[in-house]
Amino acid sequence: MKRLLPVLALACALPAFPQDAPRAPAPPVAASPAPAPAPAAAAPAASSVPSGEAVFTGFLDIGYRWVGTGGSFDTYRSVVNLGSGPKMLGTEFQIIDPKHRLFDRIEVRAYNWGDDPYSTFHLTAHKNKLYDFSADYRNIAYYSNLPAFADPLLQTTGVILNEQSLDTRQRLGSYQLTLVPESWIVPYLAYDHQSSTGNGVANFVSGDDEFPVGSIVTNSAENYRGGIRIERQRFHITLEQGGTTFRDNQQLGLASGKDYGNFLGSVLGQTLVLTGLSQDYRVRGDSIYSKGLLTASIASWFDLYGQFLYSQPQSSVFYQQADTGNQLLLSQVLFYSGEQSVISAVSTLPHTSGSLGGEFRPMRRIRIVPNWLTDRMHTNSSGTTAQQLIAAGTAPTAINSLLSNALVDNYSQFDVNVMVEVMPKLTLRGGYRYWWGNASNVILPLAELAGLEEGHIHRNVGLAGFTYRPSAKISVSADFEDGSSVGQYFRTSLYNYQKGRVRGRYQVTPSFSISANASVLNNQNPTTGISYDFLSHQESASFLYSPSGGKYWDIQGTYTRATLRSDIGYLNPAYETPLVSFYRDNSHVATALFEGNIPFRHGAPIKLSFGGSFYLSSGSNPTQFYQPVGRLSVPFNKALAWVSEWRYYGFDENFYGYQAFRAQTITTGVRLTR
Amino acid sequence: MNRRLTFAILLPLAAAALAWGQAAAPQAKPAALKKAAPAPAAEQATYVGSEVCGACHEDLAKAFLKSPHQAVETGDKHGGPAWTGKACESCHGPGSKHAESLSAADIRNPSKMEAAQTDLTCLTCHRNRPTQVGRLESSHARDAVACTSCHSIHAHGPNGLVARKPAEVNALCGSCHTDVMARFQLPFKHRVTENAMTCVDCHNPHGSLRPGQMQMVNANEPGCGKCHADKRGPFTFEHAPIREEGCEGCHEPHGSANAKMLVRQEVRLVCLECHANLPTPQPKVTANVFGVVPPAFHDLTSPRYRNCTVCHQKIHGSHIDRNLLR
Repeated sequence: MKRLLPVLALACALPAFPQDAPRAPAPPVAASPAPAPAPAAAAPAASSVPSGEAVFTGFLDIGYRWVGTGGSFDTYRSVVNLGSGPKMLGTEFQIIDPKHRLFDRIEVRAYNWGDDPYSTFHLTAHKNKLYDFSADYRNIAYYSNLPAFADPLLQTTGVILNEQSLDTRQRLGSYQLTLVPESWIVPYLAYDHQSSTGNGVANFVSGDDEFPVGSIVTNSAENYRGGIRIERQRFHITLEQGGTTFRDNQQLGLASGKDYGNFLGSVLGQTLVLTGLSQDYRVRGDSIYSKGLLTASIASWFDLYGQFLYSQPQSSVFYQQADTGNQLLLSQVLFYSGEQSVISAVSTLPHTSGSLGGEFRPMRRIRIVPNWLTDRMHTNSSGTTAQQLIAAGTAPTAINSLLSNALVDNYSQFDVNVMVEVMPKLTLRGGYRYWWGNASNVILPLAELAGLEEGHIHRNVGLAGFTYRPSAKISVSADFEDGSSVGQYFRTSLYNYQKGRVRGRYQVTPSFSISANASVLNNQNPTTGISYDFLSHQESASFLYSPSGGKYWDIQGTYTRATLRSDIGYLNPAYETPLVSFYRDNSHVATALFEGNIPFRHGAPIKLSFGGSFYLSSGSNPTQFYQPVGRLSVPFNKALAWVSEWRYYGFDENFYGYQAFRAQTITTGVRLTR
Repeated sequence: MNRRLTFAILLPLAAAALAWGQAAAPQAKPAALKKAAPAPAAEQATYVGSEVCGACHEDLAKAFLKSPHQAVETGDKHGGPAWTGKACESCHGPGSKHAESLSAADIRNPSKMEAAQTDLTCLTCHRNRPTQVGRLESSHARDAVACTSCHSIHAHGPNGLVARKPAEVNALCGSCHTDVMARFQLPFKHRVTENAMTCVDCHNPHGSLRPGQMQMVNANEPGCGKCHADKRGPFTFEHAPIREEGCEGCHEPHGSANAKMLVRQEVRLVCLECHANLPTPQPKVTANVFGVVPPAFHDLTSPRYRNCTVCHQKIHGSHIDRNLLR
């Protein structure tokens, strides 16, 4: 047992947790001149990697996490999703090659490995004047299975089944190689990969019922691009060409058993049931895209900026479906026992964007910035359906169709801003923006009451703002815009609105600073039949107290109050009675963190920190979410420290009490430093 | 023949453009720096070289060896040979007066200048770089947030001028955007506080064509599609608001108390606020509002119809069904 004590003690240490947000950094401060002259220093070395640095430096955090939960485990996994087990909590290291052979410097950082819900890896390699390489990889779990969400059967049968649940893994990789980065013409190549795999529950919608079945999710996208940057003193041009591929092979299936779906009654004395299903999406997509960027210093008082972006993604699908059971085609009052469908479709989306603008400086204290941008996209698609329904005692019923869809969205915007430095510490800004666009959407042939939807918008927006910095310790800035529209695409779109923001910061003493900001958005659409009334505002204040530069302790905190009020009417679709969708949210969010350094052996202090956050809201969805945290780090020597962390999660919703959960995590481990 | 003629015209033009481009940028001239300098004494000052600066500012000089700005000192880039051996003065202006008087008033300090003037100093070299293309759309530039608010010019390390580690990036953004960072304390949000993501994964702090300085992928597609590729389309049957309003029409990406980061507590309310079955009486306005018709006839008192996406599960767009059912 005694032999085990050191191991247990080691296991009780907690690793430092690089995933936790560090203290908010103070704004960078320029160096002040030294008080006295000194003899000239030696000439600086030409290399970007000075000699004398260690070849390998870094740290590794390894440990073990225990998780205890109460309440809804599904909600816990949907919100937090941390698991028990051994973990590689984090590592950061750099390797320097003093001889500068294949690289000058490699930097690596990786966090949260060992079946954690978000694992990341990042590597950069650099060789002076030859290349820069970066690789970024993330593996993120997406678990969504909230008992109260998408659960039609809960009230009728008591069955808790989220019919839109997912348990998937998202893998993202980005790799870029830049050659001769210090030269004036810089080629680069990049590759990005994304994939999502896993399973879940989705619905097979058929006739007049929908049947929750198992779903296999598997999709991936690749992106290849390359280009050159031409960087001269007076101008810069970037030209890039890229291409993507995409595939989605989602499958829904029911191999055996009976699925009675969400409609549990009978229709004309018959019960709807699904006894077999094979639904196979086979989506393929690709795209080419081009990018051209330009900046130029035309004169000492005029700079030019422009960009041209073009992409043309397209996709195709070959969908197959076969199902058996007792289904109903309501429009023909036809019960059928089997169905086979084959659907093929193609779509393309040419998309062009561009901007052109300039910055004029006619006088030292005045800047005039006109800018124009446009964005134009047009989806064009068509699909053919071949469907066959098999009913006992009758010939198969064939249903074939050919549909096409065209969606157009064009908009442009021109704005001009004038910034005037009215006093050395005060800059005023005023401007005007004109936004105009048109959109249309139609599916042919038309069905039921659906027709061509078409709209135009013109919007005039006045812009204003100021920045006031009476001293290096105080700064205040504000933004305001007031817009009015003619036309809208959607009932909840911006219409007649006012948007504002004020932000301030005050360095009270060298060790104490406070900051605050407030924002508001008021959007009104009084059009008859819409009557949309929306108002939201947020106020936030934060402080940082760091005596002696945080040598012994510091504390920081933030409090945010947010309110949202939204009213808009609609007709109850079944009874055509007028109703109002009202949404209210009054929330309080506070975070605080105390960090202390207790002097210990070898000059390395014991580090203690505790704090956390809470979120309390009232209104349409009253919710409470607590996340306190405590950490301890005890150094043994320069190379070894015990580190530990405790966290608590408490979640509750007034209207969905059965989704509440509480969880504690204790993580313990060691930090190895070199 | 035409092709040859085209080349004969284009090649000299390209050569001339490159030659013009390499001429010192207007703002890069020492005279321009003097013009922006606050102290009249600096006008008479002359360049003394970085060695003289390093004699007093030893720590900074040492750290500078590891800074990417070392390329200025060695003449490898950012101004070329013009600033070789004078990297400090490329930003701080000529330093002879300051070296004599040791007074802070005799030297330019960009971090204490007006944001616009600080930016002018940085942009002397960095304007003609790809990062600055979206500058005119950037609210940071409009609101006079100086480059030095995020970039620490003297910081050491190969990537030392700006935070690169996820936790540091998020803390830096959160030091001003406290109200936005507070949203990430809500239960349903992107994994920013866990540092699996950073603010710059979605936003381009230097500006972009899209509202909110959103990142773009594949040239001009919304940045959300980088991770959510299956929502990117194009679809045979599009859900129009995704193209015209963006994801934030239905989702609150910074965090929400509602499942799936929705803007309302129930899915049906998200849908019914647009699909309101409530045509507006004026024909012109009716034509302008999408999605109001056709009316649905679902009985909202039945749990089956309270979550529209139980059936309309391909709500982001469908490859095969006009009603987004599969």
